[in-house]
Amino acid sequence: MDFDLPEELEEYRKKVREFALREFTPELAEKCDREEKYPDELRKKTLAEGLVDFSNPWKTMIAIEEMCRVDPGLGISATVPYFGAEVLMLHGSDHLREKYLSRVAEGKAIMGLGVTEPGGGSDVAGLKTNARKENGKYIVNGGKMFITNGSIADFFVMLVRTSPPDDPKKRHHGLSVLVVEKNFKGFDSNQLKGKLGVRATNTAELILNNVEVPEENLVGEEGKGFYYIMEFFNISRVFVAAQSIGIAQGALDRATAFLMNEESRGHFVGEERKFKLAEIATRVEASRLLMYKAASYLFNYRPNPMITSMAKGYASETATFAAETAMEITGATGLQTDLERLFRDSKIMEIWEGTSEVEKIVISRMMMKGDKNE
Amino acid sequence: MNDQTEMMMDNIRQFAQANINDIALKIEREGVSEDLYNSLIQQGLIGANLPAEMGGAGLDRTSYDAILFQLARASPSVAFHVFMNNSIILKILEKASKKDMIGQIVSGKIRLGLIPGNIIEGSSEKSNIIIEPSKMNIYIGKENASLVDGMPELLKSKSLGLRGLKTDLFTSIKDGEKLLPYGDVEKIWNEASWDAAAIFLGISEGALEKAIEYTKVRKTFNFPLKDYEPVAFRLSELKSELEILKNTLFSDDSKEQMGMMLKTISAEFARRATKYALQFHGGYGYLEDFGVEKFYRDAVALNALMFRPILDKRALAASIYGEKSGYL
Ligand SMILES: Cc1cc2nc3c(=O)[nH]c(=O)nc-3n(C[C@H](O)[C@H](O)[C@H](O)COP(=O)(O)OP(=O)(O)OC[C@H]3O[C@@H](n4cnc5c(N)ncnc54)[C@H](O)[C@@H]3O)c2cc1C
Repeated sequence: MDFDLPEELEEYRKKVREFALREFTPELAEKCDREEKYPDELRKKTLAEGLVDFSNPWKTMIAIEEMCRVDPGLGISATVPYFGAEVLMLHGSDHLREKYLSRVAEGKAIMGLGVTEPGGGSDVAGLKTNARKENGKYIVNGGKMFITNGSIADFFVMLVRTSPPDDPKKRHHGLSVLVVEKNFKGFDSNQLKGKLGVRATNTAELILNNVEVPEENLVGEEGKGFYYIMEFFNISRVFVAAQSIGIAQGALDRATAFLMNEESRGHFVGEERKFKLAEIATRVEASRLLMYKAASYLFNYRPNPMITSMAKGYASETATFAAETAMEITGATGLQTDLERLFRDSKIMEIWEGTSEVEKIVISRMMMKGDKNE
Repeated sequence: MNDQTEMMMDNIRQFAQANINDIALKIEREGVSEDLYNSLIQQGLIGANLPAEMGGAGLDRTSYDAILFQLARASPSVAFHVFMNNSIILKILEKASKKDMIGQIVSGKIRLGLIPGNIIEGSSEKSNIIIEPSKMNIYIGKENASLVDGMPELLKSKSLGLRGLKTDLFTSIKDGEKLLPYGDVEKIWNEASWDAAAIFLGISEGALEKAIEYTKVRKTFNFPLKDYEPVAFRLSELKSELEILKNTLFSDDSKEQMGMMLKTISAEFARRATKYALQFHGGYGYLEDFGVEKFYRDAVALNALMFRPILDKRALAASIYGEKSGYL
């Protein structure tokens, strides 16, 4: 067993870190946070430097971690324009992949994933957005909530109900995935402002009023949408673990530098604060190992949803723990540094892509099905 | 809880309902309005705990803490404004026998800013925080608290919490008129532990009440959130903890040294309670419109301003061991 990443990936990690340290300037991070402004230039630069590499998910994971370590709002903004791409990659027709994905990969378009609705996010199968077929088109009505890239994306991979469930206990039946363009008639979006953190990212509510979607925009088979989205979460949760570990590592970097600086200035640093630092460091290591395990199953085509949920759940709780504890360690000084932003950013990790509670539902269900680690 | 305290709880709850609740979000975005500052004065909340001979309302400790508690439930920023005036600024001026100035503050003619400086732990040149900067400010330096005339040169600063108040950083300040030696200020600070605890507990109640209400109506998988064990059990445990802490806060029998104990526990509790309250709101908790994220931010920001993780805990340890402890 080897706990080191291959040299090629370590080199890549260095390259991403150098990029983030150079491009994620404190001014840009502060401005995007204050103005709730999406840094589109950064998206283009990240692409131009080849830092988002879909052919190698290990690289994507490491890029996310290293970028979020420097600034989570900017790091997520730079790596989220492709959100939902895997659904199209795995299940989209050649036509859809060609039409939509290639433009995203070239940096000519931004995409988003629309699952959550005003009435619920955890209960995916309870969604209400409805698509009925009429003259070779789907007519979509409903709304989506909290959609990342919602008012800047060109199109969305969207989960909708295409038929009522065949059995009330099987609400996850009858759901399908459609590609919905922002230019389709009846589509509207409304940016949600006033987020606690990750304010550089764009979040919006989507309004769908008799939106006409061509039949060919159905992804995969009708009625299989729930499974496609769960499969997608199993992938994206590894990347949320990476965001979380980036944040936790970033908090650890800042707390360590603070205490070292205190000591070098002859200020007393007692065991209490050193132990807190040790606790963060230990949890960061543990989270990273768990993420590597989930990633190695997933990227070797043996996805293990239980380990993935453990990795996402634990890493996200580590992110908030690390940010809060770093705030405690640094006290009034931390309040005046970008640590306060990291603290605000961290909380979303326990909410999106399955809340901490949802991850525990997945883990316990699998444990009790006897579906343990291998 | 004595009768006066109970009455104060009701009065201030009503005051907050009439003057704060509907504009709580506006306070976060735009700051406390002049109207609201005036209402606090008219209601007699500035100077509430000051002896009548100094121009105050002479409330006892628990009645005064009822004010802070109820204000913090609605807006931690407003509560902190009252705290910083009553528990710190007016106390320093009272001890320094500045009766005229006290009169002007209590009547709303002037407002002083506070530079907590050395009283805050971990303050450094990077964190020269000034709260509600004014033409005249109280500065707590290494050796004295002093009255500094003139607005210091301000830097634009971030603000995690207390967004309803102006908080800033400054580059340097002039020497001011000495008011009190540092030791006396520290005594005032320690006595204010009860008041800080009242704010931490008010924040916790504000957040938990929102979460309890929300989880009654929000449904997932066809059931209200409150029907799920982890939701109901966690929020009930937190509410129980809160009630027990409130009992200590509002009891006339609580011993003096319990103030520091209560502050220590309440500071940690507020961070925990607000975090769960936000979490059980799901995505909506992450938006300021729902009014729960401000409690989460303020709990952490106020922790850095009102609780000194090392010095306060050393004072606590000394009270437990009866001698200097916990310094390695
Ligand atoms: C900034 C931001 C960006 C987002 N981006 C996207 C996006 O791009 N696409 C998208 O589709 N969604 C997105 N989301 C939505 C996010 O995934 C949801 O907010 C999340 O899934 C939770 O759903 P909810 O908000 O409806 O909370 P709810 O489902 O209403 O849950 C509320 C609380 O109850 C708990 N809970 C629910 N059921 C149970 C149970 N059975 N047992 C115990 N506890 C339970 C939850 O854990 C949570 O704490 C985003 C959200 C935010 C805030």
